[in-house]
Amino acid sequence: MKKIRLFFFVAFLFPLWSNAQIETENRETDSTSVLKVQNYIRMENRNLTPSVDHSTFPQLKQEFKTAHDVTAACISCHTGRADEIMKTNHWLWERTEKLEGKGELPLGKKNILNNFCIGISGNEKSCTRCHIGYGWKDKSFDFSNKLNVDCLICHDNSDTYKKKRGGAGYPDESVDLNYVAQSVGKPSKINCGVCHFWGGGGNNVKHGDLEKALLDCNREVDVHMAVEGENMSCIECHITDKHNIEGKLYALSSENKNRATCTHCHSNAPHTDKLLNEHFIRVACQTCHIPTYAKVNGTKLYWDWSTAGRLDEDGNPIHENDADGNHNYLSIKGTFVYDTDVIPEYYWFNGIANHQLITDTIGTIPVQMNSLSGSYMDKGEHKKTNKPSKIWPVKVHRGKQIFDPVLNKLIQPKLYAEMKGDSAYWKDFDWNKASQAGMNYLGLPFSGKYDFVKTEMYWPLNHMVSPKEKALSCKECHSRNEGRLAQLNDFYLPGRDKNRFFDFIGIGLVVLAALGAILHGSLRVLFRKKSSSKI
Amino acid sequence: MKKVYIYKIFERFWHWAQALLILILMISGFEIHSSFNLLGYGTAVKIHDFAAWAFLVLIIFAIFWHFTTGEWKQYIPTTKYLKAQFDYYVVGIFRGAPHPTKKLVYNKFNPLQRLIYLGLKVLVIPIQVISGFLYLYFHYPIKGLELQSLDLVAVIHTFGAFLLLAFMIAHVYLTTTGYKPMSAIKAMITGWEEMSEEEIKERLVSDIETSILKSRAQLKSTEDYNELFDAAISSVGKKAGITSLADPRFKDAIENSGAGYFFIGKDGIYNDVNETWYKLYKYDSKDEIIGKHYRLSRTEEDFAELEAHVGIVLKTGQIINHGEVKRICKDGSIGYHTLTISPVYKEDKIVGIEGFIIDTTGQLLAERELLKKQIRIDEEFKKRKSKED
Repeated sequence: MKKIRLFFFVAFLFPLWSNAQIETENRETDSTSVLKVQNYIRMENRNLTPSVDHSTFPQLKQEFKTAHDVTAACISCHTGRADEIMKTNHWLWERTEKLEGKGELPLGKKNILNNFCIGISGNEKSCTRCHIGYGWKDKSFDFSNKLNVDCLICHDNSDTYKKKRGGAGYPDESVDLNYVAQSVGKPSKINCGVCHFWGGGGNNVKHGDLEKALLDCNREVDVHMAVEGENMSCIECHITDKHNIEGKLYALSSENKNRATCTHCHSNAPHTDKLLNEHFIRVACQTCHIPTYAKVNGTKLYWDWSTAGRLDEDGNPIHENDADGNHNYLSIKGTFVYDTDVIPEYYWFNGIANHQLITDTIGTIPVQMNSLSGSYMDKGEHKKTNKPSKIWPVKVHRGKQIFDPVLNKLIQPKLYAEMKGDSAYWKDFDWNKASQAGMNYLGLPFSGKYDFVKTEMYWPLNHMVSPKEKALSCKECHSRNEGRLAQLNDFYLPGRDKNRFFDFIGIGLVVLAALGAILHGSLRVLFRKKSSSKI
Repeated sequence: MKKVYIYKIFERFWHWAQALLILILMISGFEIHSSFNLLGYGTAVKIHDFAAWAFLVLIIFAIFWHFTTGEWKQYIPTTKYLKAQFDYYVVGIFRGAPHPTKKLVYNKFNPLQRLIYLGLKVLVIPIQVISGFLYLYFHYPIKGLELQSLDLVAVIHTFGAFLLLAFMIAHVYLTTTGYKPMSAIKAMITGWEEMSEEEIKERLVSDIETSILKSRAQLKSTEDYNELFDAAISSVGKKAGITSLADPRFKDAIENSGAGYFFIGKDGIYNDVNETWYKLYKYDSKDEIIGKHYRLSRTEEDFAELEAHVGIVLKTGQIINHGEVKRICKDGSIGYHTLTISPVYKEDKIVGIEGFIIDTTGQLLAERELLKKQIRIDEEFKKRKSKED
């Protein structure tokens, strides 16, 4: 009998013991040792001296009359590089993408609308300040001319190069082209940031998770780019092959390809906790590890174009700022709302996006400028993606922008011109003329009527990764009320959801059992006293 | 006031381990359900998962135990006394009425308990285990085979938890309705339950009756009549805390159980018999048989066999269980019974034999009647058939 007892005891303890074993094994794996770091040089091993000194090259000592001369000098040694870059999105501002229900289309900054400055068509001279070329002022730009490539915007390491406002991508007159050409090197944060941080007309306006604070930030803002840490530059993750830079943004992209992901370096099971690793199946890393965005400077969350055009007594445009110094009204653009340290919204996303094209009829309101595809039920088995949809943190930019209520389509207005009388809204403040001019430029019809429609645009977040201590805790989502996933209702989330009916019945049963016991017990005590008092 | 051994060691271990695990599962589970914050959500999930595994192991052992010991039969539902038990809880308990059912080794549970425990065992707990493991391992729909949604599983699992909690409350409360408020809980801890003298006696009677029923069932089958009866009787005694068959309580119990008792000295002379015994032998009082030799009780040829058996018991101290035997009654008529013979010790020396007899005459006669009837019917049937042909 004793042997049997011992056997039971051991058999019962065995799972306890084996589980504990697994736990210790897990704990022994250091999280950094599981990094799949390839082609990456750690901070302490980096040699910051460039392998060549461009200032010694005679090609770069010649006097450059135009920016095109610099390009010619670059490609005289770096042969073939211009051909590479001229195939990329940074040059073409479009790529062939397959859209759900729309087939394969050439899409990109060139033709996609957003709910910020709407679109580049007709406004190229201003917008192409961020193009890696010289002279894209209208449709006539020659995309096949190598000399139009701007090497310096990405490769200037002197931090003195800048493009001219409204200059169609040409450098500002103040730039010393020789000095810049002799100080070229690998792109640093500021080379990317000059466009990607200031997109939309100001710092952090568009992305919310990409802004100038990343140039010099601590771990709280971004663990990867923190100066006191690895101080990684953009291209450390956005690995570049033949000038094709990995990574994409779904404001413009549609297909699930060429993405820069966390798992390039981190494993699919980076946590010591099995439970957390399991979340990876349906929760993007970003969801927990980017608890808030726009951590330092505000990002634009709302843009209402319909209020634009209010001028002062002299007929001059005005601007008003909010308490943080962010614009909240501009005559040329309308009303804005900025916010800092914003909690993201959460959506299912499978890496596929769709876009409201200018030729598309408006269906849902708010108009989905871009829509992220995915749902709880999307397990990735359909051919679009091979991975199930995951929950992603998203910056949603909401707005109100001009559309044609007769044709029920969005309008591309002409916004930018150098002077008045050119139908540009930013000079003339006439939506009719601006719409007519903009649509004419595209060769699209305009009914003559305009109105404003609510729009939404989705920006999945990837940057401003917080230290692990700041990652979301369970209760941020697994809580009954006001959890982060309160809006994501197409599935049962433990801790958040309950079945009201069965909970009610269940609690009722428990209460009845307790009340029954109390009542029954007190009656027993009462009757016992009575009967004993009789005796 | 005496105690009676009711719950075996494994049974108690199983009960308390189960109680602890259910409590842990309940606390962590309701935290996962966001009913309160206590352990921290992640910790609650881990504890819940782990306790679930421990519970599963325990369940496997418990199933094994139930089947190997035959304890599963305790859970066969019955409507007998169901209403009486219900009425007792609703009315009788307040008037100090006795429990309508007694706690017995062979019938530990009252009909309400049988129903509820069976419901837990075959319905609630399996549903909790199955829904729990679906919850645990199929919660992410990524492959065709996975659950399409946690909805159903989670709702079932949560509702099951509410049922268990309601059960636990009622269960804990009802432990106070025993002989004394704490006696049921003490019994579950030590195995020994406090009972009144009367209850113990009743329990003994019932246990012996059960033993007799069992031996009769055994008899009907063609299998050899083994140690069953005696083993059952002696375990009944042990559990009642009775070491000797001569204990008056035990004798009383046997008196009421329908078994005949005899004590024969080394010389083969009847020293004592009980009422059932002398009635089965059709004597009017025990005085008529005490002092006489047991030769009286058998035919010539059967006596030799009995003598041989008695000889073995006296010599070796072995307990002999005997299948059906033929007895000669006072009036010379014949009856049938089964028989156990055990040695009686006095200061380590065998001074005689004692044992029980269980009458099977009535049963045999009825069976014979039935057989005759069957034969007649068969013959009739054959006749008719041949006529038709």
